[in-house]
Amino acid sequence: MIVQVLLVLAALGALVYFVRLAHNVHIRASKRIAFFGFIVVNIYAVLRPDDMTWIAQQIGVGRGTDLVVYLLVVAFVFGMLNTYLRQREISNHLTDLARTVALRDAELTNRDRGLVTEPQSAQTQSSGSRD
Amino acid sequence: MANDDTWVIIPVYNEVTVIAQVVADLHTTFRNIVCVDDGSTDGSAAQIATTAAHLVRHPINLGQGAALQTGLCYALARPGGRFFVTFDADGQHRVADAGRMVDAARSGFADVVLGSRFLDQHEGRPHRVPLLKRITLGLVVALSPVGRKLHLTDAHNGLRVFNRTVAGQLRIRMNGMAHASELVSLLARSSWTVRELPVTIRYTEYSTSKGQPLINGINILFDLAVRDQK
Repeated sequence: MIVQVLLVLAALGALVYFVRLAHNVHIRASKRIAFFGFIVVNIYAVLRPDDMTWIAQQIGVGRGTDLVVYLLVVAFVFGMLNTYLRQREISNHLTDLARTVALRDAELTNRDRGLVTEPQSAQTQSSGSRD
Repeated sequence: MANDDTWVIIPVYNEVTVIAQVVADLHTTFRNIVCVDDGSTDGSAAQIATTAAHLVRHPINLGQGAALQTGLCYALARPGGRFFVTFDADGQHRVADAGRMVDAARSGFADVVLGSRFLDQHEGRPHRVPLLKRITLGLVVALSPVGRKLHLTDAHNGLRVFNRTVAGQLRIRMNGMAHASELVSLLARSSWTVRELPVTIRYTEYSTSKGQPLINGINILFDLAVRDQK
């Protein structure tokens, strides 16, 4: 049963890493609970594979291995979606940041080029005289 | 000069060979031009600096939608702007068309005037739209329910005119090419009047090589399918 020892060690390693990491990274409580639950189920499934088969048969899946694979697929897709949404959020922040920097630089650049004279003077007058 | 109340916004990405000429052509009709250099790597910004256009530089490449929004922000911050024109940097639009559309907007024709390269077909005037392009763009319009609601014939034309009210409320979130469809759906949900005017596109070899290939249409549909509704 060397494989069981290795798998349990890997799960515990992930747990330790996660706990140490969580101090530095902002992670929502619900995700922490989900991760702890995942580790517990993981270790349980490694130590008692027959129980997984029993659960699988109760819900109409042939073998415990199949059940684990199906759950893995769902978890993978969910994780991918989560990453995608997070990445887009970061990209939106980056856009706002880059835009702010660009607009601030542009004020200086275009003033140096003589396109923006005293802020709000020349052009306001011209538009005021027309209206 | 007429059109002092108008700002032309040009998103620029690697257009070093044509951008100075495009700005020069525009400057015969429009005094206020802002080029948003979207992180070009070919010296487009230096070219723009030699022109009379205002220059805004994205520190990194963000996409055409983002560049348009940045240009709008810049132009709105300048005093006196009442109409805002979006104009492609590759020289495919005609300045005369832009002038006509601004005149229409000024006369109260609509809050938003969109250029359409297909509209002139119905008036029997000659037009030259490559077949593949026609299929791509027709598909985008057909798949866009809001585009049908507004009776638009051309959802992806870069030549548009917004009045100040509309421009001030636009928040383009799609950084890439999907911003065109995003704009259409935003306009369809609003109470603004939206009209199309026929425009002519110059399909030069240069602009065709930089246009949206068919595969891009699929990317656009994907972007729109997964965007968050705001």
